[in-house]
Amino acid sequence: MSTLLSVENLSFSWPNREVLQNLNIEIKSNELVSILGVNGAGKTTLLKCVNRILKPSAGRVSLLAQDLSTMQTIDVAQRIAYVPQSVSTNFPMEVYDVVLLGRRPYISWFVRDEDREIVSESLEFLDLEDFAFRRYDRLSGGERQRVVLAKALAQKPNLYLLDEPTSDLDLKNQVVIMKKMRELVKDTDRNSSALIAIHDIDIAARFSDKILLMHDGGIMAYGTPEEVLTPENIAEVFGVEVEILNKSGSLRIMIHGALEKETR
Amino acid sequence: MLSLSALHQKQGKSQLMKMGLMSAVTVVVSIFALGQGSSSNLDMWTTTQTILRDIRAFVGLPDTLRACGYFDGVAWNAGQTCTNAEDLQSQIIWRLRLPRVLMAILGGVALATAGALMQGCLGNPLVSPLTLGVASGTSLGAALAIIVGFSLTTVGSLAIAGNAFVFSLIVVFIIIQLGRYRSVSAESYILVGIAITFIAGAIVSTLTYFATDAQLSQLAHWSFGSLARPNMVVVALVATSTFTLFPTAMKWSWDLNALSMGGDDFAVSTGVDPSSIRRNILILSALLTSLIIAFTGMIGFVGLAAPHMSRILIGNDYRKLLPASAICGAFLMLVADTIGRTLFAPVVIPVGIMLAVIGGPVFMYLLLQSKGVR
Repeated sequence: MSTLLSVENLSFSWPNREVLQNLNIEIKSNELVSILGVNGAGKTTLLKCVNRILKPSAGRVSLLAQDLSTMQTIDVAQRIAYVPQSVSTNFPMEVYDVVLLGRRPYISWFVRDEDREIVSESLEFLDLEDFAFRRYDRLSGGERQRVVLAKALAQKPNLYLLDEPTSDLDLKNQVVIMKKMRELVKDTDRNSSALIAIHDIDIAARFSDKILLMHDGGIMAYGTPEEVLTPENIAEVFGVEVEILNKSGSLRIMIHGALEKETR
Repeated sequence: MLSLSALHQKQGKSQLMKMGLMSAVTVVVSIFALGQGSSSNLDMWTTTQTILRDIRAFVGLPDTLRACGYFDGVAWNAGQTCTNAEDLQSQIIWRLRLPRVLMAILGGVALATAGALMQGCLGNPLVSPLTLGVASGTSLGAALAIIVGFSLTTVGSLAIAGNAFVFSLIVVFIIIQLGRYRSVSAESYILVGIAITFIAGAIVSTLTYFATDAQLSQLAHWSFGSLARPNMVVVALVATSTFTLFPTAMKWSWDLNALSMGGDDFAVSTGVDPSSIRRNILILSALLTSLIIAFTGMIGFVGLAAPHMSRILIGNDYRKLLPASAICGAFLMLVADTIGRTLFAPVVIPVGIMLAVIGGPVFMYLLLQSKGVR
């Protein structure tokens, strides 16, 4: 498999604080990578640096061997789609039109039949047909997140960046979003990968090919869930004693302190 | 069942139909408005006939047209004396009411467009064209011309309007300078606009403190917002500028959609550079605003109400919202001005006042109703 995204020596700092220090990451095609780490570890900053919302203070980010910093905003948008934690607005549009915005990087002004087709496909993929002409602000949190994901899908990107897409959602919607992401990434026709900042370790372990464990603006560990999610690593990063259960290939995190208290 | 794409196209067509209907109503109202006034009220049929007859005569006489241009302020049929009632009627319609009706339409188009643009790029429904401080720039310019007698333009008839326009450009310049900072946020623009409003307001207050009664009343009349002042030359100038700026605004409607729908980060990932597009849009809308306000005085409400009414009718897609706001603004201004000059004729109530009096309750009703449907 070829390298899709490569991050070399990436650093980012605010005027008074260094957030990211010298990161090196490589993501291959058709891979789903989860970023784990405590609040403030630099997960969101990393995603924003990759998407050029923030300008790194040092280092290089390249996608399919092309340096992102030399590309036009619109070219980046054809290759990378960013899904924020939540999108709220004073001027909500209808779902179909929100998803149509994903075609903005390709449209000069008029909407072509091709664009409508892609929008319809994206809506159908995320089971949003019934909501297509509802207003965005009248949807539930899970539906909204699916709409923003459908918009990202309509961009036909090589890389999806998701910033805690599941934190506001119930269990069912968390699983729906992650399942759909995995389905997308594993579709070899699309040649795309996903980098997802997430808090739920169980869900990350269940759906990811690789896990990037961040600690204090650096990388603590990067590899398969089995390699990364060790009791030592988790104790180091989160300061919580856990036991890792491997139940037929699926990892479970058992929290020690809480467990003892409840079972007396 | 129709496919999603087909449904979307169908919806687009029905929105276009709505806009077509709105413009048709506006045209009808403007013909009606041409027939109404303090001298005599014509019914719509007579007005239409008079207009058509005059246009036929106008088109049929190209030599006369060349000899005495309409825009020189000389009527095209100046050679004739106004002996019969028909000629007098034509004179009133073409020389007095037409500039006024056209200015109402243009003012509505420009202010409503500016309002819609600014609301979208600042992501704030409370914003109107007066928020950025452009209007206080114009009133400072007008106050200087009226009270101090200081004017940057030498043409007597343009002393106040010209000065107002130049001073509003100073505010536009401040906005451009502000936009150079990459990190400037939507809130900073609004706050700086409010600061400018306070500063300019303080200077105007100081000036009025030393003004004579006559100057005070002239300034007060200026600030009401009236369509009586512009002549055909001004109308032509404003029309040219408005209709060159409007397509630029339309070109940015995708970017505006991204920005108003999801904010800066969302816009970036859609391929839009939020800070540069926001700066450009604000400059454009400030220009549109100052162009109108310099010649008419304070007319603010249409820039707030027309975009919101259009949002209720058409939705928040800027590709359709911009033309819909323009039409809606033109309609509001026209109706308000026509009522204002006929209600207590021959006394004319300034359009700025009428807009708030009539438009305000309608606006509130529409807002409450649309919330109720929710």
